[in-house]
Amino acid sequence: MLDKKIINYILEELHGGQSDLEILPEDDLLGSGLVESMGMMRLIQFVEEDNGIKIPPQDMTIENFMTVAAMVDYIERTKNNG
Amino acid sequence: MDFSWPEEYLDFKNKVIQFAQRELNEGIAQRDEAQEFSHINWKKCAKFGVQSLAVPATYGGPLEAVDFLRSMLAMEGLGYGCEDNGLPFGLNAQMWTVQTPILHFGNEEQKEKYLPAMARGEMIGAHGLTEPEAGSDVFSMQLTAEKVEDGYLLNGKKHLITFAPICDMALVFANTNPKLGRWGISAFLIDINTSGFTASAKKSKMGLRSTPIGDLNFKDCLVPENSLLGKPGMGFSILNHSLEFDRCCILASQLGAMERQLENVIDYTKKRQQFKKPIGSFQSVSNRIADMKLRLETSRLLLYKTAWLKEKGDNAMLEAAMLKLQLSESFVASSLDAMRNFGGRSFLTENGVEKDLRDAVGGVLYAGTSDIQRNIIAKLLGL
Repeated sequence: MLDKKIINYILEELHGGQSDLEILPEDDLLGSGLVESMGMMRLIQFVEEDNGIKIPPQDMTIENFMTVAAMVDYIERTKNNG
Repeated sequence: MDFSWPEEYLDFKNKVIQFAQRELNEGIAQRDEAQEFSHINWKKCAKFGVQSLAVPATYGGPLEAVDFLRSMLAMEGLGYGCEDNGLPFGLNAQMWTVQTPILHFGNEEQKEKYLPAMARGEMIGAHGLTEPEAGSDVFSMQLTAEKVEDGYLLNGKKHLITFAPICDMALVFANTNPKLGRWGISAFLIDINTSGFTASAKKSKMGLRSTPIGDLNFKDCLVPENSLLGKPGMGFSILNHSLEFDRCCILASQLGAMERQLENVIDYTKKRQQFKKPIGSFQSVSNRIADMKLRLETSRLLLYKTAWLKEKGDNAMLEAAMLKLQLSESFVASSLDAMRNFGGRSFLTENGVEKDLRDAVGGVLYAGTSDIQRNIIAKLLGL
């Protein structure tokens, strides 16, 4: 569910809803060019607001944000911790 | 809504203005012409406590924790009081793009090594990001840092780096894993005496001439593992973290310079007589002053709003881009208006008016050009 929301945000907001792209939870977002650097900052902002969490800069790493699946895992861990 | 500042912040800002006017305004024209950095003024700033505004008391700062709004207002005061625009520019560059990332991402050993020395003015740090082929497209950088047994091996070049010719150390962004694209960028803290690391001589430039600029070159430069700032691949977040703090404070000093410039123009146009009247009584002159005031105050509102959002920990991407665009372009436009109002004498370097225009042009180019700011704004508006 969370992964679909993030994918939907990427398609609707970052690609203007005009793309016939298909994004899978395991796709490398930045490395593949699906999301450019500013788009990633907007995506992080969306994740923060949508989940009521604050993501410190130290956590903005490849382990946590390379793919939608990694993001979902990070969000769930963050929520559980706190 | 309350637009007022705490009294203590304003008192401190006034102290900074008085310090700058008293201590920093000698020999500016000569240094500008010679493109010469003043180590003496750098040390005076440290003694007064400018560089330490970016660090907490543990590392030489004045307060238990950095008070960003207080520091930003102080840097506005410095820009107002110090007529050498290059000095506040250089101070801000070190404080917010070198000291701040070390403070937030460094380990204790790195903080102890660099932060107190920078706060005392005994060490100058450069921020190495731009490359000949990676300007606006910054993540296409080609400086590589290959992981080897003893640490990392750096090869490549940084370009247009403030303080490169005189720095003691540099915070340098390099690609540690080109396969990972933007996620492969890491940050390193490298001392100037490291083998394979050299800095160019200073390059001649149009404005901000008292702060030297140059290249950083890396040829088989081996740095130990503990030179890494944060984790491998953290360059992206380190860069994003410091960018908006840097923008606010560099632009705060520019705002101070704009206020000083406006006051000088008003003073001159009240005194200067032509056709038996003060030239300020002619609408062609006074209208330009009204435009300068409007630019100053709209820039101020955007600056304070952006800083307020950052202080709260909120996202300020849109506001920071609008601020950078508005304030830097305003300084250029107002500097040209100032020259028109001062008339022919402003064209002579000895009168110290044209320098603001030369300094202002840098602002529409560094830390993201005006074109890039417009692109960011448009994208954030969903275009």
